[in-house]
This record gives sequence, C-alpha cells and structure tokens, in this order.
Amino acid sequence: MSEPREDAVVQRRWMTILQKTGTPVISALLAIAVGSIIIWASGYDPLAAFAALFKGSFGSPKAVGDTLLKSTPLILTGLAVAYGFRAGLFNIGAEGQLFMGGLAATALGLALGGASWWVSVPLMLLAAMLAGAAWAFIPALLKARIGAHEVITTMMFTYIGRYFVGYLVNGPMKEPGNIPQTPALDPAAQLPRIATLFSEAAREAVPILNLGRAHMGILVALIAAVVIWLILKYTTLGFENRAVGFNRWASETAGISVQWTTVKALCISGVLAGLAGATEVMGVHHRLFDQFSSGFGFTGIAVALLAKNHPLGVIPAALLFGALSAGATTMQFEAKVPQDIIQIIQALVIFFVAAEEIVLWFVRRRQKEAISHAG
Amino acid sequence: MLDSIITPDLFAAAIRIATPLALAAIGGTICERSGVVNIALEGIMLTGAFFGTAVVLATGEPWLGVIAAVLAGVSISAVHAFASINLRSDQTVSGTAINLLALGVTGFLMKLWYGHPGTTDQIKTLGSVFTFDAPGGGVLAEVWRWVNAILFTHSPIVYLAIIIAIVAQWAVFKTRWGLRLRALGEHPRAVDTVGVNVARGRWVAVLMSGALAGLAGANLTIEQVGSFTENMTNGRGFIALAANIFGRWTPVGSYLASLLFGFADALQIKLQILRGVVNVPPQVFQALPYVLTVIVVAGVVGRAVAPAASGVPYRKD
Repeated sequence: MSEPREDAVVQRRWMTILQKTGTPVISALLAIAVGSIIIWASGYDPLAAFAALFKGSFGSPKAVGDTLLKSTPLILTGLAVAYGFRAGLFNIGAEGQLFMGGLAATALGLALGGASWWVSVPLMLLAAMLAGAAWAFIPALLKARIGAHEVITTMMFTYIGRYFVGYLVNGPMKEPGNIPQTPALDPAAQLPRIATLFSEAAREAVPILNLGRAHMGILVALIAAVVIWLILKYTTLGFENRAVGFNRWASETAGISVQWTTVKALCISGVLAGLAGATEVMGVHHRLFDQFSSGFGFTGIAVALLAKNHPLGVIPAALLFGALSAGATTMQFEAKVPQDIIQIIQALVIFFVAAEEIVLWFVRRRQKEAISHAG
Repeated sequence: MLDSIITPDLFAAAIRIATPLALAAIGGTICERSGVVNIALEGIMLTGAFFGTAVVLATGEPWLGVIAAVLAGVSISAVHAFASINLRSDQTVSGTAINLLALGVTGFLMKLWYGHPGTTDQIKTLGSVFTFDAPGGGVLAEVWRWVNAILFTHSPIVYLAIIIAIVAQWAVFKTRWGLRLRALGEHPRAVDTVGVNVARGRWVAVLMSGALAGLAGANLTIEQVGSFTENMTNGRGFIALAANIFGRWTPVGSYLASLLFGFADALQIKLQILRGVVNVPPQVFQALPYVLTVIVVAGVVGRAVAPAASGVPYRKD
C-alpha cells in the first residue's frame, strides 16, 4: 500500500548521499583532470604519469604500505581541521601543533629511556596531545576573548613552533655529531611496523601483509576518527561544537558559551594535530629534526574540505592524498613529472570543493536525469 | 654596543624590509574595504616573485620583470575574485587554495624550466635611484649621512610604495570611488540599490590587491634578494594581513604598521650579527616578527573594527 511512498523516501535518501559524496568525488576528479591537462601542457604524458603514480601508491604491498604511511598523519590533521571547521573555526596552523606534538613525544620518549612500551607509548601519545592543545590554546583564548583572527594567530604560532623545534634540535636536544637531530628513540618508545606483527610464515603465505614502512599509527588515527565521530554525534560537547559552528548567535541565546566552546574546539583540534606529530616521530622517523613534517598540517586542510568535515569521510579523503603523495616520488622518477604537481592537485581539490557551485551544477544535472529516469 | 646597533642603515633596512609588507598590506586593505578577505596575499606575492624573476632571467630587463610580477599577481588574484565573488566560495578557503596553488605552481615551473628545486640563478636587480656623495666632516656631514642613508639609498619600488600609500589613502577616503569601495564592504545591499554593480566593484578591488601583492613580490626578488627561492615569502603575506589590521584598514596605517614590522626584522638581523656579544640562539630572533604579529593582532583587534560585510559573499536577489 505504502510502497510508492517508501520508494520516494529511499530515493530521497540516496539523493542526499549522492549529493554529500558526489561533490567531493567530482571535485577530486575535476582536480585530477586539470592536473592531467597541466602535465600534458608541460610536455609529459599524463597517462604514464598516473600509471607511475598508481604503481607507487598501490602497485605492491610495499606501495600500499607507503600509502598508509602517508595517510596516517593526514587522517589526524584532517580531523583536526575538520573539528575546528565544525565550530566555524579555521585552524590553518595544525602544522605548528603537529610540530609541538612531535617535540613533546620525542622529549618524553628520550627521558623515559628504556621503559616498557606499554608505559612509554601511551604516555608519549598523551604528551603529544597535551602539547598540541597547549599550542592551540593561546590562539584559542585570543579568539574567544578578543576576536583575534585564528587564521593569523595559528599561522604565526606555526612559524614560532618551527623555529622553536629548530632551536632545540640544533641546541639542547641535539645528539652529538654534525646533524641537527635528536638521538633515536628506544625501540620500546616506537610504534612498530605493521609487518613486524606477523610471523615470517604468515607474511609469506599472505603477501599483502608485507606492508613495508606502514606502522601502528594508522590504528591510532582510525580510533581517533571514530572517537571524533562519536563525540560530534552523541555528546553535548560535540553538539555545542556543531551548534556554534552553525549559528553562534543562536547558540549564545540558547545558553551555550560561545567563548568556552571556541577554546575547546581549537584545543581539541590541537590535540589531534599533536597526535599526528607523535605518530610521525614514533612510527616513521624515530627521532626529531626540523623538517620531520612535509606540510601534513596544510594538506590536512584539503583532507577536511574534501571530507566535508565529516570525521569518517576524513579517512577516504586522507587515503586519496596519502596515495597521491606516496606515488609522487615514483611519478617523478619514472615519468619525470615534478612531484609539485601533487600540491597543485591538492590546491585544486580545495578550490573545487570551495567553489561548490561549479560542481553542484554537475550533480544537479545527474539528479535531474535520475529523477526523469525514475519518473 | 648601542652605537653598532642604532645606525643609519638599521633604519634604511627597516624601510626596505617594510616595503613588500606594506604593498601587500595596502592591497589587503583595499580588498577588505570592498568586502573580500584576501588570505591569498602570501601566494600572490610568491607568484609575483617567481614570474618577475623568470622574466628577468629570460630577458635581462628588471623593469619587464616588475611588469610581469604585477600581471602574474593580477592573474592569480582573478582566480580568487572569481571564486569568492561569482561562485560565492568561502573566501578564507579560496585564499588557502591559492596559497597552496602558488606553492605548487612555482615549485613545478621551477623544476620544469630550470631543472632543479631550490633557488634560481642571480638576476639583474634594480639598484638605488639616487647616488649622493657624503662630503666633508663635522656635525652637518653626520646629519647628512643619516638623512642620505635613510631617505636616498633605496630602489624604485621602495619609493613607489610610499607614493602608493599616500595616493591610496586619498583615493579610499576622498574620492567617489573610495566612498563606493567602503560602502561595498559595509553595506553592499545599499550600494546595489542605488545602481552600483557590487560584483564589478569587488572585482576591481581584488585585482588591485593582486597587482600590489605582485609588486611586493617583485620588490622581494628584483630589488632585494636578486633570485627566487621556493616558498621565499615565508609568511610575509600573513604578516601583511596583520599590518592591515594594525593599520585599521587604512593605506597609510598599513604602511606605518609595516614599518614597525620592518624595524623589528631589521633589528633582529642586526642582533644576529652581534650574536657573539649577546649570546642568544638565532631562532629566537627569527621568531621575533611572528611573535610581534601575534601581539599586535591580539592587542589591537578589540579596538579596531573590520568592514561589516568583509568576508560575506553578496547574493543579488
């Protein structure tokens, strides 16, 4: 009896999902298309370039491992930026909080020396979270109390944080020798590689387990994504965050403290960015030096926007950018295309997601077709 | 020790360092006055710096490089204008996209054209406009030495920036165009009602800010450094935004605020040279301009008010 009606409901639900995922997917495709045109116009073969890129990001278990390796910090910085956006705040300085997280994890890890892993790993992650939050706290306070624009202040804190780390690895924390870096972390203070969790025999039987340099940080990142999703969906904290992002005046009227929510939002954002610093130090480099992040904080902006600030959407978005950056080296080596093209594609993704009207035009056309077919 | 820090060339350096900041800050002022936030100043400046250098490398003509830098700035700011005015994108996000795009494009072309990352070859630069002698001795000669160093040792764009600051101040506050510009940023609906084209007015403002930030890039490479290095703007666009706020959205105010940042930077460079005497790590000095920016933004924002419609896309219906 009510079948046509249910059909309509189901169809509308599909429409919403299509609209939500459609824009990001089309944005990403458009960005890759424009990137291909740039590659072609520069005198290279786009097909060869993307073939090499694919080989470097998914062509072998080791390549998949590299993609996971690059995606790990991007999930966390993507979450950091997304959580801020959901409160109407633009944490452009996740990079700085990431630096401080990496610093805190290293400092504590070195101090703990040879403590067992179940003591050092959680404590180091915690230290990184606190350091990230602390680095976001002053911009947060300035934003909440006097309205100082967080884009300028968090950006400035990024520079300050970088110089601070630069000073420490050239000075007090420098290991003996000529290289400006800290001593290596004790193996118990590192995040183990995924491949090492399996026995030789298991890895031989299931080759996909040979994930190369991918490390357990991916687990930390995935847990963080689920936790942030739960917070946003089911807790008062998350509700207030969303409410303030949606309409700060209405929230204030409804009795939500906009100032306090602002501080919490930027600090939680800092916690996530700080974690990204910790996983990079503990899982990849096993020490601190001043170039340990290749702009993960900034790529996190693209990740968050592509995910439309949805914590679970951040995971596929980060995988896309992780794959792009994992494959970039192979692409530059085999197809000779400068790997900066990846940064151009990232920028284009942000641009197309922001300029939703171009993309929505495509989606609406698809919808019209779908409706006319259904009708 | 103070004698070796407080010298004429400290002040001359302050004016020099302030110039790119001031040009970009004035661009930011004009842009925000029209109701469009321009976070992209950093990327526009970098683009101008790169294409300016590239043209000088190709032609050997510094002035052609300056023109190229301005045109490059205008072109990339057109992307920002299209996104934020016609497509009504979030302006901060669009600006961020342009900053990343500028980093990617300049790095990509660097490798494509010159075959290596990092820094380009040295280019022919624009030197001092005046070359006066400092004759004789005595008090008068000492005074002349200061005046000459501070006022008459600069390259053309440095003077141009001062002229632009004054002309822009006049244009924004004393002309019909300026009145409309400010109205666009305060109450676009009202401007629309009396028959002024909001989109066109904002387009002009964004392109002007692109030209100024491009010129800032030209000053950086063609007058100051003499080569292009990847990501050489190093946050100057953001400091310029802060200078614009500190200057309370006025061109002359932006210039004076930039002078303050220029002085801080000149001072830290001076102090770094004297590092043997004052035993402080160089990174402390390098971080100084950024710390100052935070203090300035924090200290002044409460009392300065941005144009009411700044950052709000205008929908005509």
